[in-house]
Amino acid sequence: MTQDASRLTSDAGNTHAEAPGVDPRAPSVRRVGVFVCHCGINIAGVVKIPEVLERVGKLPGVVVTKDYKYCCSDPGQQMIRDSIKDDRLDRVVVACCSPTLHETTFRNACDEAGLNPYLCEIANIREQCAWVTEDKDEATTKACGIVRTTLTKVVHDQPLEALTVPINKRALVVGAGIAGIQAALDIANAGYEVVLVEKEPSIGGHMAQLSETFPTLDCSQCILTPRTVETGRHPKIKLMTYSEIDSVAGYVGNFKVKIRQKARYVDFKTCTGCGACLEKCPGRTEAWFERGLVRGKAIYRLLPQAVPNRPVIDAKSCLYLTKGKCGVCAKVCPTGAIRYDDTDKFVEEEVGAIVLATGYELFDATKLGSYGFGLVPDVIDGLAFERLLSASGPTSGEVKRPSDGKTPKKIVFVQCAGSRDSTTGMPYCSKICCMYTAKQAILYRHRVHDGEAVICYIDVRTPGKGFEEFYKRATDDGIKYLRGKVSKIYRQGDKVVVWAADTLAGRKVELEADMVVLATAVIANPDGVALARKLKTQIDSHGFMTEAHPKLRPVETLTAGFFLAGCGQGPKDIPETVAQASAAAAKVLAMFGNTRLTHSPTTAEVDEEICVGCGYCERTCAYDAVKVDPARKKAVVNAALCEGCGACAVACPSGAMTHKNFTKKAIFEMADSF
Amino acid sequence: MTRYTYYPGCTLYTKARNLDLCARKAAEKVGFELVEMPSWNCCGAIYNAASDDLAAQVGPLRNLAKASQLGDKLVTLCAACHNVLKRVADRLSQPGNEVERDRLVAFVDEKFDRPVRVLHYLEVLKNEIGWDKVKEKVTKPLAGLKVASYYGCLMVRPKDVLEFDDPENPQVMDDLMRVLGAVPTRFDFKAECCGGYLVVNRRDVAKSASKKILDNAKAWGAEAIVTTCPLCQYNLDKLRVTTDGSIPVFYFTQLLGVAVGLTQDELGLEHNAGDPAGFLKAKGLL
Amino acid sequence: MTISRSPVELLEQIEELSGQTVSDCYQCGCCTSGCPIGEAMDPPPSKAIRLLQLGKASELLDSDGIWMCASCLVCGTRCPRAVDYARIAEACRVLVLRSKQSRVDPDTVTVPELEEIPQQAFIAAFRKSSV
Repeated sequence: MTQDASRLTSDAGNTHAEAPGVDPRAPSVRRVGVFVCHCGINIAGVVKIPEVLERVGKLPGVVVTKDYKYCCSDPGQQMIRDSIKDDRLDRVVVACCSPTLHETTFRNACDEAGLNPYLCEIANIREQCAWVTEDKDEATTKACGIVRTTLTKVVHDQPLEALTVPINKRALVVGAGIAGIQAALDIANAGYEVVLVEKEPSIGGHMAQLSETFPTLDCSQCILTPRTVETGRHPKIKLMTYSEIDSVAGYVGNFKVKIRQKARYVDFKTCTGCGACLEKCPGRTEAWFERGLVRGKAIYRLLPQAVPNRPVIDAKSCLYLTKGKCGVCAKVCPTGAIRYDDTDKFVEEEVGAIVLATGYELFDATKLGSYGFGLVPDVIDGLAFERLLSASGPTSGEVKRPSDGKTPKKIVFVQCAGSRDSTTGMPYCSKICCMYTAKQAILYRHRVHDGEAVICYIDVRTPGKGFEEFYKRATDDGIKYLRGKVSKIYRQGDKVVVWAADTLAGRKVELEADMVVLATAVIANPDGVALARKLKTQIDSHGFMTEAHPKLRPVETLTAGFFLAGCGQGPKDIPETVAQASAAAAKVLAMFGNTRLTHSPTTAEVDEEICVGCGYCERTCAYDAVKVDPARKKAVVNAALCEGCGACAVACPSGAMTHKNFTKKAIFEMADSF
Repeated sequence: MTRYTYYPGCTLYTKARNLDLCARKAAEKVGFELVEMPSWNCCGAIYNAASDDLAAQVGPLRNLAKASQLGDKLVTLCAACHNVLKRVADRLSQPGNEVERDRLVAFVDEKFDRPVRVLHYLEVLKNEIGWDKVKEKVTKPLAGLKVASYYGCLMVRPKDVLEFDDPENPQVMDDLMRVLGAVPTRFDFKAECCGGYLVVNRRDVAKSASKKILDNAKAWGAEAIVTTCPLCQYNLDKLRVTTDGSIPVFYFTQLLGVAVGLTQDELGLEHNAGDPAGFLKAKGLL
Repeated sequence: MTISRSPVELLEQIEELSGQTVSDCYQCGCCTSGCPIGEAMDPPPSKAIRLLQLGKASELLDSDGIWMCASCLVCGTRCPRAVDYARIAEACRVLVLRSKQSRVDPDTVTVPELEEIPQQAFIAAFRKSSV
């Protein structure tokens, strides 16, 4: 008997008349219809349906029992609707599969027949009954018990009205990589305002670091910048860069978000983006954008085409902010935009829906002890190689090896560096590496015509459109694919030695390369993981955000009002990211298409005459839905936030807190009845 | 001075006398005493991994049982003995192995009713004595001698049983070299196998494995190598694998001995190949 | 235990003695690429496991490769599925030895070798390769 509060029904009218002539205070005079579903052979193959009908038919209150092969089908539902009218039912029990599947179906059917939907209960005789035993007698007895218990509940149920809440038709998108940008544009183009929050100084995410994208070899910036420019100029998008989500309160349709705008030390309004400060700054910082290939400046811009095109100062490496020295940027700035006295600011925004698009990171390969990452300068990861290939990168697009700047004549690409490995904690496949490694090898040979590329792989996974053909292009170009996971990488003299294998020929192979590129595992952005924990949205054991259902609800979460897009939910390439982002936007727009949202009414309820305001309920609630009013010393339930979990009713020592349609009396009787 | 029960193992008495002798004398200088346990027997030299091979555990078990009656720690010096004894001790103490343990214990006269921790000499130096105290006892620092620390495979694997150090880049012996005033060089083959016992019937394989180790050590500028296992020492030192000038292969206890001021006789250098004494004299260390 | 004639039972014997499940292996080849003896071992570790996966355990028991393993444990330490080939090779060797077939005859060792090589090498070698 679960409630999925994130299922938002449309605001169709709810009319529900009690069956006439029935006293709602007397359970013994109920008229209950019990409908037993065969579910094909799922239930009927084990549970003896005729016996269930016979035994249940004798229980008090049951006036009609019927069975059908597939109750969820149209004729099945029609049977229930007809029976409600013909047999003047005032309560319905459907013995079938799990309520997570069809509770809504049957409740809607009752509603259409004029019976309050909350007077319909599901007896699940499949998942924990027919599906867990082959013993027919055992299953039949248990099924009867389950129905009996459900019957006990349903006679206590009272008709309830779903409550409706207003919707603030503004959206928040967290993360402005290509996923966040796409979602924001789709929502904004539909006419709604979007607050787009990005923790970096400019938008574009990892896609801005790439040189060219597979399988088309489109220049990444060329396809990204039209989107970023549009985002920056869009009248409906409120772009907040260098900002992070501090807290989110409220509930679906009515969120209050507190955003921390980090101190930039640059006035974005006065600054013209001329870049004079960038030339003169002597401070040095680890330039994460360049993946450690070069050190960046303390005042920096991520890339020349940054949106917004304004630099920020990294306080930890700024000589003025740490030691009070230098200050050259303020001196050369033509518009006086430098603000050393800047502080973090907090901004409050109210929105109705939130899209989480916090993206990915690459696993830190120093943890792969035998690969020499961090020890051998010429062993770099995939994103670092993208920077070497990028025209706007530290080598202006020329492939040069980090140790001595020479052009490498032989590069070994190592796939599955950390992925598909239960010992590193990343047993999954990172999905994009086979394709981007083939791409990087092709691009390397474009730049260095006599360069030799060897790719050490376990499998080559090419699941997308044009991907297999792209892989063939790589092999046609003379790129050598060597099947065998690399065991060890070290430097000896001027070369990098790679211990590889050719499992197809059945032998070990030792390679000497000038440079090695590791296709390291894709992990969830740690900042995204921290945010999910703060917001209490669901993440899996690897830190990726969990979708509401892996097949049918890929862009929603189980927390109403929160949607997902991009690599924050799992490794994926750009086409999939964009598709998912647009899907998330569509869900948001579907929500905004209603005037009000409905919320399940099986919420907690306080009997104020008994309540003394002890506060146990408030401490127990995971949803901040119940608070003790300090003036009156009474607990007050915010039904819109309440998810009906029942924890407060259990915690309440006096019994003042009850749960609608889950009263103590009902539950005790249910326990006795089984 | 703290006394530790000591298990030498077969080879340390004979072919690896140079490892054992200076180990004991250096220990005295540093401030602990190795007391050889009475009537110990061979540990078996290699751990038998077959799941039903109980007979092979009896030999090591007997040593552990004897040692457990003498104290709660057992110090070993040879990497192979350390590997066998520690793995057997771990196997016997795993929950679920009580039946096996009781059967094995029934085979030996000694009682095994107290736990005993198997420690390597390096662990004693690091954790029991502490690097600071060791450094105090250094009278002749090794004058920046560039040394590659070779741990060998048995010293660090299996990682979860030996809990000795990071198998891909162990540091304990490097730390000791630093404390003694030497410079531990970068070395990519710290724990790669030298070929081990394959030298008995496949000498060629042991030679090629050892050559890779020596090549890498020399490529990173090492002037000498230190080891902790007589078999590794043999394969690296005495197989004569390199043609372009071998570098001396010492036991870590020999360099420890030099640093704490042992005499040349006490170092057992005559058991090493080549002219290690001449090498050390040329460096001003002897 | 004697070497079973049935390939299915033989694999079961090997898995029981080694404590490993060969179906865990996805043939990445990391064991082969990291093996210090890899170039000389035939079949190398990943290929050996492949033989077991294909029901050809008796072919593996007849091979040279299983006697070349030095038990250095690099294979199992780096395997992404935590399959320990060293224990599988040991199980194969043990099955052959227990059917009274010695691989290395102690009598073939020469006197100079006996005097020179550390005795622990002999003990270990004969324990691994002779009855």
